[in-house]
Amino acid sequence: MKASKKSSSIVIVPATLLILASWPSQLFAGKHPAVAKWELQVDTVESGDVNIGPDFKVAIYENLLKELARTKRYESVFRDGDRNANGVHNLLILKTTVESYTAGSEEKRAVTSLAGATRLKVLSKLSTQDGQVVLERSVSGNVRFFGGNLRATHNLAHNVAKAIEQSTLPVVPVSASEKATDPADR
Amino acid sequence: MFHRSVSALRLGRLLACLSLLVCYHGIAQDNVAPVPKSLRVTHILGLQGLKENTNGTLTIQAQTLRFQPHDGIAAEIKVSSIQEVALGVQDKEVGGMPMAIGRVATPYEGGRVIALFAHKKYDIVTVKYRDSDGGFHGAIFQLNKGEAQVLKSELQAGGVPVIEGEKPAEKTKQAGQS
Repeated sequence: MKASKKSSSIVIVPATLLILASWPSQLFAGKHPAVAKWELQVDTVESGDVNIGPDFKVAIYENLLKELARTKRYESVFRDGDRNANGVHNLLILKTTVESYTAGSEEKRAVTSLAGATRLKVLSKLSTQDGQVVLERSVSGNVRFFGGNLRATHNLAHNVAKAIEQSTLPVVPVSASEKATDPADR
Repeated sequence: MFHRSVSALRLGRLLACLSLLVCYHGIAQDNVAPVPKSLRVTHILGLQGLKENTNGTLTIQAQTLRFQPHDGIAAEIKVSSIQEVALGVQDKEVGGMPMAIGRVATPYEGGRVIALFAHKKYDIVTVKYRDSDGGFHGAIFQLNKGEAQVLKSELQAGGVPVIEGEKPAEKTKQAGQS
């Protein structure tokens, strides 16, 4: 009798553990919902009055998209003008304006080690759809020794992503459909 | 007399052959589509699914700008989706990382002298376009000096606005300052 009890427990316990391991999300979905994330739209770079080449503006924009997607802090990162971002309730918008730019020279850097640095400084403004500013900061990216001039845009985008990552984002708003379907969870 | 008439006949035949050849060449050119010019370029950044600094060939064929890397899948941009193309110039070191390491390792500051001769000017082509969802993209290509003009004329023929970038001033300009 004892032996049969023991053998049944040997079977039941691992089976239960297996079931729990294979469907954890389904079992606990109602009690512990996944943490809601913001979605992000990166707007094209504004040059303002600064004389900067279109290649630099495009490189800043593309590197920002790459670096911000790499942080995995957002549900998705949309491009400027992407129709999929229309109607998204938890959307943050990143606007970038070039504040200053010093065109460098890779040759000067290699020959002198002192002159020829490429310097970029932008104003990054992260805001919600209703205009609430979440983050507004001047960020710079430079190339002083090694690498091409466009490497400054990569360094800049990395610094912008880091600044946004360190900032505290507001609580993700609940959409109208979520309010209607699940009022008890709030 | 006979000799003169034979030579005239030969000359007549020769002229007929030549005119036929010229006509055929003209007909053949009319029937065959122009061969697309392919340019050897380096994709600096921007194309989806392609690594940065990838070498390949760039062609415009059937209203499509196509970048074919030396190994891997090609990327295509429809000419109709291109908003603007900008041309510029950048100086870059030839030889890549091995050259840079060699330069640094050269004793008695010899690397600085090498650096003077190890730089070359390249044309930079920036293509701004929108995808099927309306999302803005930018792709940057590096071409040998002078080759951007070939691309410019082909794109202009397709109705794409091309702007030739001026070299930006080499000093910092603050936004808002005059």
